[in-house]
Order: sequence, then structure tokens, then C-alpha cells
Amino acid sequence: MSYDVAVIGAGHNGLVCAAYLARAGKRVLVLERDEVIGGAARTQEVFPGFKFSVFSYVVSLLRPEIVRDLDLPRHGLHILPLESTLTPLPDGDYLAQWGDHDQNRAELARHSLRDAEAYDEFGRLMYQMARAVKPFLGMVPPDPTSLALRDLKALLRLRSGLRSLGAKQFHALHKLLTMSSADYLDEWFETEALKATKSASGIIGTFLGPRSPGTAYVLLHHYMGEIDGVFRAWGFAKGGNGSVSAAIAAAARELGVEIRPNAPVERVLVRNGRAAGVVLQGGEEIEARTVVSSADPRRTFLQLVGPEHLPPDFTEAIQRFKFRGSSGKVNLALAELPNFTCMAGAGPHLRGAISISPSVEYLEQAYDDAKYGEVSRRPYMDIVIPSMIDPSMAPPGKHVMSIFVQYVPYQVNGGWTAEKRDAFGDTVVNTLAEYAPNIKSAILHRQVITPADIERMVGLSEGNIFQGELALSQMFFLRPVPGWAKYKTPVHGLYQCGSGTHPGGGVMGASGRNAALTILGALR
Amino acid sequence: MKEPVIVIGDGVNELVAANSLARARYDVVLLNRRAAAAEDPFEAGWVPPKFIREFDLERYGFRIHRPDPWAIVWPEERELVLTADIRRSAEAIGNLSARDAEKWPQFCARMHALAGLLQGLYSAPPADPMLGSAKALARIAMRVRGLGRQGMHDLFRLLPMSAADLLDEWFESDALKGVLAGGAVMHLAQGPRSGGTAFNMLHHHVGSPAGVFRPPLSNMRAALARRTQVEVQDGSVARIEVRQGRVAAVVMTDGRELAACAVVSGLSPQRTLLELADPGLLDPELVRAIRNIRTRAVSAQLLLTFDRDPRFTNLVIAPSLDYLERAYDHFKYGGVSPEPYIEATALGSSGNERYHVQVHVQYVPRRQRDAAWDTQESEKLGRNIVARLSDFAPGLARWVINQTVLTPADFEHIHGFPDGQPYHAELALDQWLWMRPVPALAHYRTPIEGLYLCGPAMHPGGGIAGLAGAHAAAVIHRDLKSR
Repeated sequence: MSYDVAVIGAGHNGLVCAAYLARAGKRVLVLERDEVIGGAARTQEVFPGFKFSVFSYVVSLLRPEIVRDLDLPRHGLHILPLESTLTPLPDGDYLAQWGDHDQNRAELARHSLRDAEAYDEFGRLMYQMARAVKPFLGMVPPDPTSLALRDLKALLRLRSGLRSLGAKQFHALHKLLTMSSADYLDEWFETEALKATKSASGIIGTFLGPRSPGTAYVLLHHYMGEIDGVFRAWGFAKGGNGSVSAAIAAAARELGVEIRPNAPVERVLVRNGRAAGVVLQGGEEIEARTVVSSADPRRTFLQLVGPEHLPPDFTEAIQRFKFRGSSGKVNLALAELPNFTCMAGAGPHLRGAISISPSVEYLEQAYDDAKYGEVSRRPYMDIVIPSMIDPSMAPPGKHVMSIFVQYVPYQVNGGWTAEKRDAFGDTVVNTLAEYAPNIKSAILHRQVITPADIERMVGLSEGNIFQGELALSQMFFLRPVPGWAKYKTPVHGLYQCGSGTHPGGGVMGASGRNAALTILGALR
Repeated sequence: MKEPVIVIGDGVNELVAANSLARARYDVVLLNRRAAAAEDPFEAGWVPPKFIREFDLERYGFRIHRPDPWAIVWPEERELVLTADIRRSAEAIGNLSARDAEKWPQFCARMHALAGLLQGLYSAPPADPMLGSAKALARIAMRVRGLGRQGMHDLFRLLPMSAADLLDEWFESDALKGVLAGGAVMHLAQGPRSGGTAFNMLHHHVGSPAGVFRPPLSNMRAALARRTQVEVQDGSVARIEVRQGRVAAVVMTDGRELAACAVVSGLSPQRTLLELADPGLLDPELVRAIRNIRTRAVSAQLLLTFDRDPRFTNLVIAPSLDYLERAYDHFKYGGVSPEPYIEATALGSSGNERYHVQVHVQYVPRRQRDAAWDTQESEKLGRNIVARLSDFAPGLARWVINQTVLTPADFEHIHGFPDGQPYHAELALDQWLWMRPVPALAHYRTPIEGLYLCGPAMHPGGGIAGLAGAHAAAVIHRDLKSR
């Protein structure tokens, strides 16, 4: 049987891309190597009765136009707000950030009056910049080095968009793009825990410390979530992050997309320099006029296509594209809720995020260990307890806890072994026990995921959760390769739609949608 | 105009500004802080050739020192010698890695093309994309396009990158990467794995021939001082007098009041605007921005006199990226690097078997977490550095007949560097071009009419001799002409 389009990978971007293509009347087949769809946005019952968002665990930037176009709520997408962040401190105190403005202000004022004053102004400026940057997410990045009319036009549009910002905001945006999150926040705040918890969002998925330039930009993402107005900055998908993928898959199926699990693609079929379909492991050939890969650039080009079909300088640039997974995951099945020393009992704080980021120095030291090939002795951890918000995730009275951990280098000294993985799990539990001493006895089961496991389980090279570091030198028209950032590839008829392309990262879906629109020739 | 233009400070930028204004027939008074040194001090930085011609510097004993080889890495069993001759350097690199040797010429050419672009940008005042004239912006766009597609891709990728990432892409030899990364962290409070350090490497490459990644040293300041024929007044400034929003005079610490039609300060923006002028005259938001200028010092200097020829031109101790990164780690938490990045530059002999060596030591914080800078601490630093140098050049400690240590605290007290940072504002992408030192001051003017800035905190910044002074003088000339 022949298809118009074969999409490799049923992660959220692959599914979004497929759905948009089918919506335009194309015959689309999605091939997933695993039996579970969703890629890194999946829910699995890892232990009997305990369901986990195994990898990606919160939703923040899912494009509202995708939610609307694909009518995702009707297909079961339901996002529950995640409103607070609690940062426990070693001295038994804490810093809480609440969804309620006045409550938040009072809590900040407890630490610093100055910070409480600055907080609103900071928020306003970030909001304005997020509004200015947001349109970039939905655009095919123009190449400023090209002389093509289309690029020049897009650049002019972009320039006039920036001009409308005004000089003050433009300069602030320049700083945000080029500074370290620690330095940027130092200009505004003095409370260590506040600066650390905020700058933690800037280091996620990168191999940089909070003092390194290039980490401030991601602070914006938090505010972009708010603008969309769909939900507050961060949210849980009811049923775990797998239900995001499931909703997109349901929408796609309704539009006529065929999704085949357990169908690992071995290579892309290239005939006379153009994509002609794919070959599955086991030899089955599937013809398609267009092939779209949601796998990361390294896997797509070096493994599925092969350098023999690519210009040498392109291959070299793909080899240069940096992954360097730096984060791991620990999923816990709990007999009881954690009891935090700083805020005892099962209060509303357990319905939000808990961030182990007491100071910028703490994060920087965590990075120091990883620089030299070790797991952070005291890692940064972002903890949520999904069963508090969605009780269906765990048996009655029991709980699931998701712990995102950084830094966990892919290239660990001596390579990853079962012992190393256990030691990493112990580090996480021990660190958490300093703040919630009952955690050790509460653990029924523990799943520990290293960057090497992420690579093996979902095929993300070097375990990088963004399919390639989200650093300034790998963003916008440079993602993944300068000159090839428009979802097209040197192989005619082969496209990319994963987060290794602009804008990349997070359960956003923008890459999948932009790619689909490019393929349909709808984007100018 | 009866009142003179007063130039505060005697750095190379101030001297260039004073000489340029004097040539444009303004009365200029230069306010000196320090007594003339017995010997000409050598300062590192690119000297734009136009200054040598324009000010006829050679007549005033101008000397430029381009160490060649520009980097010598010992111990001798793993020696690496890098010279201005790309082919010879490649041969030397070949002893460590044939692959690196093969790549060296291409690396040199690509970096030199990018540094050439920077050189162009530095030769004019910065053009703000939001506020700059369409003409100035078009000129920059043309320059960037002139790099060609490959060059532009190099540029955009490279600017935000870490030096470690860039060098890892090109090379495998630790020694080579260490030497190059030294120039990338020079005077910057970052390690080689921090973003923006590749840019700093390019900045320090500006003006040098392809294949040379260290700026030359020169006595340009001393030569210019000899040439300067304007009125010089010694003493320190107490405050800048402002009347009706306009600069009126400079008041000295001894009470003298010197009337001025314009004042140009080579001191830091913080010192000039928040201490000498009344910060109450400024928008509070600008005051906050000025306070936020990053000025972390990272280096100390050691001046050594040897009784024999040290037999090196520029000894570099930066054996690997990890070495530099670890040196930075200590600094991050307020410590002096126990194993610092060191460059020892031989400046030649002053006769009588006296050989002078200037040593750059990094990372040394302005404020140590567990100690304050006093004589004891600085002597300890000096001893450690000499011991460290002896590890790489055995016997060196015995040749030293005199040594002077300058810590960041000394640089702050003697030279007025804010927090001891010689560039007055760290050279990072957020304090570059139209952002240097802050957008509202990037054009050498201040909100106080008639008060200008010309120090290294201004575009194009430290490490480049005199251009900030020249750009400031041009702005002042334009303003005074139209008054």
C-alpha cells in the first residue's frame, strides 16, 4: 500500500504533524518503534496500580492553536493547573510561590521586602518580552544569511516586530538572550532561594550552570505559558503526559491517520536523491512520497538516512550538533505522602511543584560535579506528586512521585552500569530525605532513569530531553543546522518535525505543526 | 568658547581623547592621577595603526612588543610552540596531533575573518538596532554579509558559544585547546565552558595577524603622555559640578575649581556618574542599570625582574580546558585558584643584566571569601605564582631579583579600576556594542549635558587601545560645534 506521507515516530510532534497533514487531506501513516505511543510524552503503569508520566511530566507550552485546531479537549485532553512551587531550605525554612498574587507577595516579603516590590515589575517586563517572542515559536525561522526574497521579507517583518517592542524592551530582550540566569536575576532579587528556583528553569536540558551566559532566556518560557491563557504557567495532563499524546493520536485517527506501533523504521528509502518511503526492521518496505522524521537529527540523518545520501558538510554539521543529556528521572511509588520538615502535613503545597534549589551556589556546585563526569552529589530536583491532583494515577491512599533530576551526565565517568544507576537513585532519595525524612520508609517501588536509559527507551540521542541542547548557538535558524532550519532536508521529500528543529523543547508541538504547514506549502 | 574641555584620567583612552580634541583646537586640561612611572609600563591590547600615524607615536619612543612565539607551553617533553608563522605552528602542533595540525590553517583563517568583522565594528561608534541611523545599520549589515554564508553561519553560531565547545569541535590536543582558551577567558569572570567565551577569544584576536591569538603589548600610553602638549594638572577629582543640568566645573580634592565647557571622564561610569556627579540628577532606573554593570575582576599581575634571560617569549600555563575550568571553580566560590592560569611575558632587558617579565595570573577574586587583600596575602600570592612558574620552568625562582604583586585590590586603589576589573565592564555579549556599558550610555554621552565617558567601559572596550577615547572625542567635537 502506498501513502502520501510516512511519519517516523509517534511522539507528540510526530502525531501533531500527522494530524495536520491528514486534516489537509493527505494519506498519512505514523510508524512507532515501541508498543506504546507518545515517545517521551507517555503514561505507563510501571508498577501495578501506579501510573507514571515516565519521562516528560508537566505541560506548559503546548500551542493553543494546536489544542484548538485539533479540538484536543474533545479527545480527552484535560489540563489541571499546577499553581505553587515550594523550595525547602536546609535551615528548615522554605520559600513558597503561590498562584494567588497577594499570598505570593506576603510570602516573598517575609524573605525580602525589596524582592516583593521588584517581583511585579519583573513579571510585567517578562510578560511583555514573552509576548514579543511568542510569534517566533510559530514561524519558520528565516535565514539571515540568505538572500532569498522570502527570507529577506520575513526578516523585515521580524525586524518591524522587534521595533514595535520599543528600545527599552529590546535591550531587556538582548540581555535575556545573552546573560546567565544568575546574573540576570541578581539584577532584580536578593533572596537566594528565589533566584535559584527561577534560574533552575534556565538550566533544564542544557549542560550549563546557572552562572553561564545563555541560561537566562528560558526564564521567558514560564511567562509564555501564562499568556496563552489556556491554563496557568504549568499544568498536569489528567491521566499523565501520555494523555496529551493519546488526545493528539485520537484526533489524528479521526482525521484518517493510521498509527502503527511496534513498527521500528530501519532506514529511509532514498531513490535518486529523493525520499521514497521507509524500510522497517524485518525488511518490510513502505512507499511514501514524503517522509517526515520526528526522530532527533542525529538518529534521522546518521542512522536512518545515512551519510552516503547527504552532502559532507551537512553530515559534519549534524555530527557537531550537541546533545549531552544532563538530566535523569526518578519515579517513586509511595505508601504515604512525603512529610516536609519545613511545611509538615498534606497541605496544598503538595499539589504543586517542590523544587530542591536552595541557592544559586547549590545549583552551580551540582553543575561542577557533572562537568567532570559525575552525577551531582546534591542535585537539583523538580518534584511533583501527580496523584495529589489526579487520584487515578495511584491506588487509593497511595501516591506517585515524579522527580526530575539534574545534573546527570550522559557521559558519566566509566560509563553507566546498574550499580551507577542505583547509586544515582540513592543520591536522589538521600537528598530528598534531608527535607522529607519519611520518604525512605514511604517508598514501595522505585524507577531510576539515566540519560543512557532515556536514549535506550525512547531513542533520544544521549538522553537529551530536547532532542539537542537548547543553547543559543543551536536555536532559531541554527537549529539543527544553519541553512537547514526550515524542516526541509538535503534529501528531497524528507522533512524533520521533532524538537531538534525550531522552536524545539517541551511538550509544545510547534515543531510538528510548523513542519506540517511547511510541507503543505502553507507557510510563507 | 572660553572654558576648556577637561579630561579626567590618564589612561590611553583619555590621552587619545585629549590629543584628538587638542588637535581640533579645543583648550584641553588633563587631570592626572598618577605620577609618571620610571619605566614605560607595557599594556596588552591592539593598537590601531591609525593612532601611530596620526599621533606620530614613533617620535615619542613608542614601542610595540609582539612576542613571537606568542605561546610557549612547557614542560619541554610536551613542548608546544606557537608562532606567527602558521606553517611552523602547524608543524609544532603536529607533534601532539596530526589531525589538529591539519586543521590549524583553516581554523586560523576562519577566526581571522570573524575578528576582521569585529575590527570593523570597533572602528566606529556602536549602532543600536533600535535607535541607530538606517545608514549606520545598513553599513553593518553589509559588513556582516561580506563574510559570506559560511562566515555568517560561523559568526552567529560562535558568538554565544563556549570556547570549550568551539575548540572541542576543531581540536583534540589538550595543550592547544588550553592555550587558545586562555585568550577566551582573559579578564572574564567565566570559565571556558561558559557561553560567550568564544566571543571573548575573538575579541582578543582583533588586530592580530591570522594565527596569533594574543594581543600585542605596547607602551602607547607612555608615548602618548610624552606627546601630549595640553595643560596637565595633577591631583584627584572630588566632584563634578553640574548647574542647570549642564556640567560647569570640576572640583579637586584640594578645593580648586576648574571651570569647563565639557568634561570627559575615563573613569568608570559608576565612579563618574554615581560618585563624582550627583546620582540624584539621574533617572533612578539608569542608576540601577549603572550599579548592575558587571565588573568582577579575575586577575592579578606580577612584575618580575630576573638576573638572566628567561629564554621564553610568552610562557603559557593552561595545559587543558579542564585545568582552566577548575581554576575558575575556585574563583566562583571566592577563592584564589590554587592552580591558576598564568601567562608570563618577557619584556626584554633594561641593561645591567636586568630582564623584565610581566605575569598575568587568573583567577584571583577582588574579594576572597576567607581573607582580605593585605601585604601578607599579596606576598603569599606572589610566592605561589613564582613556585608555580618554577614547576614549568625549573630554576626560575632563583633568577628573581625583584618582584611586585598587583592584586585586584591594588588595581582598584592605584588605577581606579572598578572592583579591580581593568576593562571597567566585563566583556560579555550583554555588555557589548550598543549595550556597553548600558544602552543609555553607549554613545559616550550621559544624561548630564556636557559630561562624556571615554574609558574602557565604553565601546569597543578594554583590550583595544584608544578607540573608545577617539570615538568619544568625535562625539564631543560634534556636540560642541553645534552649540
